[in-house]
Amino acid sequence: MSHRLRTWTYYGVLWLVSLLFFSPVAWIILSSFKTRNDILATPPKLVFTPTLDNYIDLFTRNTSFLLQLGNSILLSVSAVVIAVFVSFLAAFCFSRFKPKGTDFLMFLLLSIRMLPGPAVILPVFLMYVAFGWKDNHLALILFYAMFSIPFSVWILKGFLDGVSTRFDETGRVNGGSWFHVIFKVVLPQVKPGLIAAFIFNLIFVWNEFLFNFIIGGVTTQNIPYALAVGAYSDGGLNWTFISALTSIYIVPPVLFIYFFQKYLLVGMTFGTVRGEV
Amino acid sequence: MVKIVIDKVTKRFGPFTAIDAMDAVFDDGAVTCLLGPSGCGKTTLMRMIVGLEQPTVGRIFFGDRDMSGLPPRKRNVGMVFQYPVMYQTLSVEENIALPLTQDRSLSAQERDKRIDEVLDILDMRDKRKLFIGDLDAGSRQKVAVGRAVARRSDIVLFDEPTTNVEVQAKLLLIRAFKLVTQRLKQTIVYVTHDQTEAMTLADCVALMRDGRIIQYDRPADLYATPATEFAGWFLGNPGMNFMPARKTAAGIETPLTAAPVAADAEVSGNGTLTAGIRPEHVRLGATAAPGAVPGVLKDLSVTIAGRFIANVRIEGDTIVKVKTDEAIAARPGDTVYLAADPAGLSFYSDGNRVAAAVRQSQ
Repeated sequence: MSHRLRTWTYYGVLWLVSLLFFSPVAWIILSSFKTRNDILATPPKLVFTPTLDNYIDLFTRNTSFLLQLGNSILLSVSAVVIAVFVSFLAAFCFSRFKPKGTDFLMFLLLSIRMLPGPAVILPVFLMYVAFGWKDNHLALILFYAMFSIPFSVWILKGFLDGVSTRFDETGRVNGGSWFHVIFKVVLPQVKPGLIAAFIFNLIFVWNEFLFNFIIGGVTTQNIPYALAVGAYSDGGLNWTFISALTSIYIVPPVLFIYFFQKYLLVGMTFGTVRGEV
Repeated sequence: MVKIVIDKVTKRFGPFTAIDAMDAVFDDGAVTCLLGPSGCGKTTLMRMIVGLEQPTVGRIFFGDRDMSGLPPRKRNVGMVFQYPVMYQTLSVEENIALPLTQDRSLSAQERDKRIDEVLDILDMRDKRKLFIGDLDAGSRQKVAVGRAVARRSDIVLFDEPTTNVEVQAKLLLIRAFKLVTQRLKQTIVYVTHDQTEAMTLADCVALMRDGRIIQYDRPADLYATPATEFAGWFLGNPGMNFMPARKTAAGIETPLTAAPVAADAEVSGNGTLTAGIRPEHVRLGATAAPGAVPGVLKDLSVTIAGRFIANVRIEGDTIVKVKTDEAIAARPGDTVYLAADPAGLSFYSDGNRVAAAVRQSQ
């Protein structure tokens, strides 16, 4: 009997903590179906008449919504694709040719992620203005790619180290070029690593606000930018706008993470549990 | 058809010298086995031939073409690795076909013909549609062999291909190798630390130790007249017996011979020698015989082919291993008698063979 009680308490606590973490998300999603008055009601209304007005409003009144959504997708996907491609090649070199001081170089590479963004925002801004790169998609993509590369190299090197050099050697001896070995022999074996690197960096770029706000501009505005700028646009905090936009905004990462969560786990452990996938 | 010429090749890994100023020629169309203990540099030599490593000093020629600096795919060498690496998602024939598809000058019919031929030799026709995951380690290695030879490259290298195969499959695999090597007159270099494999497959054996080839000979000659104590000890199961010998005016005295024996060559030096004799050249008897020396039987065990191996302690605390066909009526602790067959007795000085016993000495 006490054993059963323990099990129940155990799961009860787990559920409670999980729900507690989920509650802000739930609150936002529920709010997106509420009227403005229902959102601000005290005590909070759990039973209400759902409405789609907020979404209709978002698409009809906020004319730049599609631009912002498109920018978010374009910026994050292309930056991450570039980053993962470059990182894969870099990680391959580190893993296979082991240049002198590989460990130190890897450390230097990651040090860019130790730097807080606000510390470099001013020099980066001045540089982008001087080059005339402000409010330019390509420039912003390159910046995000640069920020995503170090972490991807780390993840991918872990995975590549797990692929035996026997594969390289067999491929090369059987008449394959390095190109063939890298892309046809080795790459398919580190797919989990590529996906993990892709998701991690996608989440980072998808949620990036500061640099988009400072070195981006009107044509490159993404959804975090829209949230920050649009929150006060209607006189007072515009909760209907925020909740509706946020609800749409979190759909792509949620889907991604739901379908690829096993890769996320192996990515966090740098490929050390590669065999579990 | 090309021979492989190793021209004063040295390979160092940091302070470690894996190959030490080696000169060798591996004949075209022949099977050369590189035989030696682990870490003697045989795999390194092979990796330099295929191009996965570059020599620190020296050059490697295929025929008269200098291979220095060429990547593996420009060398046209097939190689079978210790661990067969296969495309798991492809079938047996697709795996064999894969390197052939890289060669655009090859027509589809020619490709199929070669695959058929290789599958025939390897006796794998019925397995052609199977996937690699369905095969055991021995069959996978056969596929790897097929893939390496189907390209008809001039040279095929085998790097300890039977190490990870169980004993039964190993014998079948070696038989398959033998067939392949006889049918396709390619120049083959086969690395192994298993002397049985080397003896079975090789036209010539290069015995290696510490980055050098210490003897390069036909297998039978290598076994019968090892040039060094090391070769005598390494080949044979068990290896050669060694015991101290001394040169006197009457001949060479050994603990295994009742009377001094004559040597077939002049032995210089201070007279201190080592006598070597293979276990099958020592006769074991329960009763005294002319020319035999007494010893104490330590143990007697049965080995392959119903033969017996006895350990006998003789004068000077030397243990002599004896291989004999019939059991003798003696138990451990009993006194037995050993007689050396002079045909098998040879003498070494500083580890190198200097003379053999003259046959008519007894």
